[in-house]
Amino acid sequence: MTAVTSAPSVARTAAGAPRRRRPRVAPGRVALYAVLGVLLLVFLFPLAWAVSASFKPRGDIFSSTSLIPAPATLDNYQRLLGEQPFWSWFGISVGVAVVATVVSVFVCALAGYGFAKFRFAGKRLLFGVMFSSLSVPFAVILVPLFILVVKSHLSNPWFALIVPWVAPAFGIFMMQQYIVQSVPDEILEAGRIDGNTEFQIFRRLVLPLLRPSLGALAVWSFLQTYNSFLWPLVLVSDSSSYTLPVGLNTLFQAENRSFDLVLAGAVLASVPTVLVFLLLRKQLLEGLSAGAVKG
Amino acid sequence: MTAVTTTVPAGPPAVPADAAPAARTRRRSPSSGGNAPYLFIAPFYVLYVLFMIVPVLAAVYLSLTEWVGLGTPTFVGARNYADLLRDTSFRTALGNSAVYVLVSVLIVVPCALLVAQALNARGLRARDLFRVTFFVPMVLSPIVIALVYGLLLDRSYGVVNTVLRALFGIGSVDWLGDPTLAKVAISFVLLWRWVGYLSIFFLAALQAVPRELYEAAALDGAGALRRFTTVTLPAIQPVSAFVVVTSFISAAQLFDEPYLLTRGGPGESTLSVAMFIYRAAFERQQLGYAAAAGVVLFLVVFVVSQVLNRVLAIGRAQ
Repeated sequence: MTAVTSAPSVARTAAGAPRRRRPRVAPGRVALYAVLGVLLLVFLFPLAWAVSASFKPRGDIFSSTSLIPAPATLDNYQRLLGEQPFWSWFGISVGVAVVATVVSVFVCALAGYGFAKFRFAGKRLLFGVMFSSLSVPFAVILVPLFILVVKSHLSNPWFALIVPWVAPAFGIFMMQQYIVQSVPDEILEAGRIDGNTEFQIFRRLVLPLLRPSLGALAVWSFLQTYNSFLWPLVLVSDSSSYTLPVGLNTLFQAENRSFDLVLAGAVLASVPTVLVFLLLRKQLLEGLSAGAVKG
Repeated sequence: MTAVTTTVPAGPPAVPADAAPAARTRRRSPSSGGNAPYLFIAPFYVLYVLFMIVPVLAAVYLSLTEWVGLGTPTFVGARNYADLLRDTSFRTALGNSAVYVLVSVLIVVPCALLVAQALNARGLRARDLFRVTFFVPMVLSPIVIALVYGLLLDRSYGVVNTVLRALFGIGSVDWLGDPTLAKVAISFVLLWRWVGYLSIFFLAALQAVPRELYEAAALDGAGALRRFTTVTLPAIQPVSAFVVVTSFISAAQLFDEPYLLTRGGPGESTLSVAMFIYRAAFERQQLGYAAAAGVVLFLVVFVVSQVLNRVLAIGRAQ
């Protein structure tokens, strides 16, 4: 954060001063930063290694231990993009994730609003049923869902990779929590007096207020869809409509273990999610924490 | 399921209390009027019925049949379940999944709490850098993680063994080829992937604990450990319950890591229940059998989450 560099001088004199009388603060601090620093390395090393290895010639990936590739080469990337339908996998993964995210954010906001701001017969039961789906493992419905989708000729990836996943209970719960806390009833009341329909109130008055949590939910949903593996693995049989994870898996399972290509693919595949996360990290982390504390 | 009754009523008290009673008396009729709420939740429920209720019912039906995917399923009663009970592979898978669950709940969750405690240290610099970096594994695709760890842990060439060889002279540890070490390796990857994500929830909960509570406890002469057990743990109880139940459910249906890192091997020593289901259905065309295994998994997860919810909620009432 930016505050980090400038704040300490102020914080130390203002808030920190009285506590400084405790003598054991300093060694504790050193240990704290040491532990966190080691953890930082544990988290970053595998990633740094992968990025570095993806720029090394195949023969160097294991033999050279340096994190700086010398010589560095784009060969892995060029061969991956030249020999494999990488962009097609990439397009399907990103496309599916974007569509699923947009639809799911809307569905979750609608349902979350319905549960948060209305009283109606059966609400407790319906909410409970919705929430209970959080504890249904996906492996339970894997087989029947696959059969249903295939038998009703809906196994087109643009349908089957998206539609079953656009109404996650987690998202509805998150929206419901947020709406209860941050949308005042007075606004809805005023909207009704102005003669808006219930849907107009939702779209014009409520949705704009939900922007922070919609962002959090969107990132969450994008990550879920983009990274999902088991369902696309089962569903997609045609290699031209593989998603990225399935495509990379196939490459890696191939006989010559083309780890040079797969490393390059792994780095490229991580770009969209890391980018989305870094751009919207505040919203995501705060959205998740808000749900946790209030829930 | 009971999480509903425990979590939801916990919400309103956090909202400013003044708004609630007034709203209740005045706005009952307009808010409940008409079919608007049903229309708002309708899209969710249509999808929910089609892609959750119907498949669950279909799973129960399929589990009572024998079917290779062609023609019509043959009804065989409870035979699949009887076969499952005798199937050593299924027992192995249940045992392995139990290991993954225990690792998640007893190692990953406490580690996440420790990390959150560290991140909650007063005046910590670069807190966001740590928080964001620890979260990154959750952002990456499991295939990317499995690929990188598969190469790092490679028996002959992996960096991990190279380092061990240089430092201690022990090399060639077969991380993914030894039945016990493979479980250790998968557990480590689980820890690496989940700990930062879960610590976000703990950190938020810790930050919400009023400082005065700690100060009061310190005045009473409570040491750090005692403050942790008497102040921190009770205060973060609801979040802990949420984290434990979520981790339990995710670990019980673990598929990606064992499938990608070891293919369930060596032998079946890392085979999870979800992999067992996948293998039965899509490699062996035993669709009814796979569905039965799914129903068993469902029952186990359901019962255990109920128990967890109850146990954790009792702790909270105290």
